[in-house]
Amino acid sequence: MKTAFLAGALSLLLPTMGVAGEYNLTVDRVEIDTGDFVKTGIGYNGASPGPVLRFKEGENVSINVTNNLDEMTSIHWHGLILPFEQDGVPGISFPGIKPGETFTYNFPITQSGTYWFHSHSGFQEPDGAYGAIVIEPEGREPFRYDREYVVQLTDKHPHSGDRIMRNLKMMPDYYNREQQTVGEFFSDVSDQGFMTTVKDRLAWGGMRMMKADVEDLQGFTGLINGKGPEQNWTGLFQPGERIRLRFINSSAMTYFDVRIPGLDMTVVQADGNNVQPVSVDEFRIGVAETYDVIVRPRDEKAYTIFAESMGRSGYARATLAPKEGMEAAVPKLRDPARLTMADMGGMHGMDHGDMAGMDHSTMGEMDHSDMKDMDHSGMKGMDHSGMKGMDHSAMGHGSEMTAGGASDPFYAEGSGLIPTAANGGKFLSYADLKAQKPLYEEREATREIELRLTGNMERYTWSINGVKYEDADPIRLQYGERVRFKFVNETMMTHPMHLHGMWSMLDVGAGQLNPVKHTISVQPGTTVYMETEVDEPGQWAFHCHLSYHAAAGMFRKVIVEGGPESTQAAEGDVGQAGGEA
Amino acid sequence: MSASRFALATLAMSLSLSAMGADSHHSGHGHGWSGGEPGKASAVSRTINIDMHDNYFEPESIDVKAGETVRFVVSNKGSLVHEFNVGTPDMHEARQVEMKMLVEHGVIQGGALNHAMMEMDMGGGHSMKQDDPNSVLLEPGDSREVVWTFTGAGDLEFACNVPGHYQAGMYGDVNVN
Repeated sequence: MKTAFLAGALSLLLPTMGVAGEYNLTVDRVEIDTGDFVKTGIGYNGASPGPVLRFKEGENVSINVTNNLDEMTSIHWHGLILPFEQDGVPGISFPGIKPGETFTYNFPITQSGTYWFHSHSGFQEPDGAYGAIVIEPEGREPFRYDREYVVQLTDKHPHSGDRIMRNLKMMPDYYNREQQTVGEFFSDVSDQGFMTTVKDRLAWGGMRMMKADVEDLQGFTGLINGKGPEQNWTGLFQPGERIRLRFINSSAMTYFDVRIPGLDMTVVQADGNNVQPVSVDEFRIGVAETYDVIVRPRDEKAYTIFAESMGRSGYARATLAPKEGMEAAVPKLRDPARLTMADMGGMHGMDHGDMAGMDHSTMGEMDHSDMKDMDHSGMKGMDHSGMKGMDHSAMGHGSEMTAGGASDPFYAEGSGLIPTAANGGKFLSYADLKAQKPLYEEREATREIELRLTGNMERYTWSINGVKYEDADPIRLQYGERVRFKFVNETMMTHPMHLHGMWSMLDVGAGQLNPVKHTISVQPGTTVYMETEVDEPGQWAFHCHLSYHAAAGMFRKVIVEGGPESTQAAEGDVGQAGGEA
Repeated sequence: MSASRFALATLAMSLSLSAMGADSHHSGHGHGWSGGEPGKASAVSRTINIDMHDNYFEPESIDVKAGETVRFVVSNKGSLVHEFNVGTPDMHEARQVEMKMLVEHGVIQGGALNHAMMEMDMGGGHSMKQDDPNSVLLEPGDSREVVWTFTGAGDLEFACNVPGHYQAGMYGDVNVN
């Protein structure tokens, strides 16, 4: 309290240097009305979501954050490159902001694009503590548009984050309404035969997962800019204009498949960084990711922005229209996705691209007794090189193959999660993302670090390399090295992995044009690589951005050793060593 | 070999067909539409420099007089392949379909053109040479001229129809006075 006052007084005395902007945020208890329900939550400047903070590249910002809650808080500037003390993670960057205290963040803005901010304390973010950041570049952008809107998505749940976590810990399928029913069992029996169906169910039971575990948190209302589907947030346009839509997924747990029926979307940025423009009909936005798209509605009519959750348990909806009050048709939710045996592939510690479920020697966490009766005769002597064209019905799961034979190198072959565009057109893949300009000189990684994404759904524990945060040693990186991270997803859920403070260059096979991101989705049964130039000293958080997975332990502290002396992290700790996600 | 050869031949055919069909529906390659016609070097009254960056033109609009013949000196200053193409928005839309095929068949590869593939004789005199008089397709660092006579008013733009570029805003307005 006293130090905060002193810091505040000092900042008043400091001369203004260069371009400096001062911003004020209060952290408040707020009421959140989704149209489906009203609840109290947490917001900024009296509302959830908070304001759109607009910065300019090259500016030095000074942000006064006043905590009006009766608990600790913090703000993390998601995707921003800044000194680690300003990164806002309690226990890693700083101790946090006490009730009644004002903490002033100071950092230079060295980048441009669309980002967001959120609390990194407890479950304040799922409870509503998030907002958008828009940074205008110093020079011109490699694209143009006539107007722009932030489109910030979230999955607002009637329960508080604390209550959700308690329920998930007690009963991991508490919020899973899509569980397969007895009726479905009998229809599978008639389609696939009794033994196949029973074996399938036994196999899934042995995985401690349920086939429908695409989303472990259902029952939410999708919001866009704080508005529920009925409240229909509307962005106005003049026909013929190019509109830049800055999509941000601020959900606690939900991936969204986004489309605007009648409009092509040209993706020009991913996670704030320019990508070579690619026109798509639909894209999937992972939790914490951002995508900037340009659309050009030519007709004097309304268009629906439709964002279906990946598991199809809910949706967000908004409208682009020439006039307030105009609406377009709202599509129906498509059928829920079902995980397939391919999505279990990672459970065996196998690389993506290998056959799901074949290598039984390494089935670490599985209960082998459940698998004994499975008929593997159909898989013997298979030629792996020809797997694409393989008939997966030999595995007894033929009915689960993706319709239309959709494929995407970032999903397991035959995965039930591979997205397809509702209109049969182009669905964005990570493989389509190429940086507009290389950010770093190309060089070989100096080191590879394998991170297995692990968990036990039955106990709702989530971890990295089988160890949860509170039991884990930090990951130590050396300043100046280029690290290649190998993510091996051994669970059956998608994990959006977020490294704070330094860029994550996703390996899509484009060499120095690999896209530059801050959050990378790793699909079940796949292995994904990213590289990081370790060019920021200090200590940073590295975690799955699904709120309840991070809190359950899929989280690491990263310590960067070496670097400019003045900015080195003091060994030991800043505040409590808590896994506050 | 035979399959890809066949695919290329099909592509070349479809490109030529769309070019031949252009006259009838005013959506093709610069013959007989109201916006203008290939100009004679002797008639050039002025030179306009057009720089192509990733992914925008400089300048982004030009003023011309009806009947004026302009020499465009087009330079690719970016790191990707770009096109300079004078036409109506409809023509650009049709052209974008072809350009998408050129990318899918590997003729345009990010920052490079596959010249061998473009020159390849697909039979019957067809090739994928990009030699329409209203456009140039350039690799990074390359520069070429387009001489064009603007015959009358019309909804004209110069555009890069490499997939995604036009949509991202790589076009410029032609104001015919």
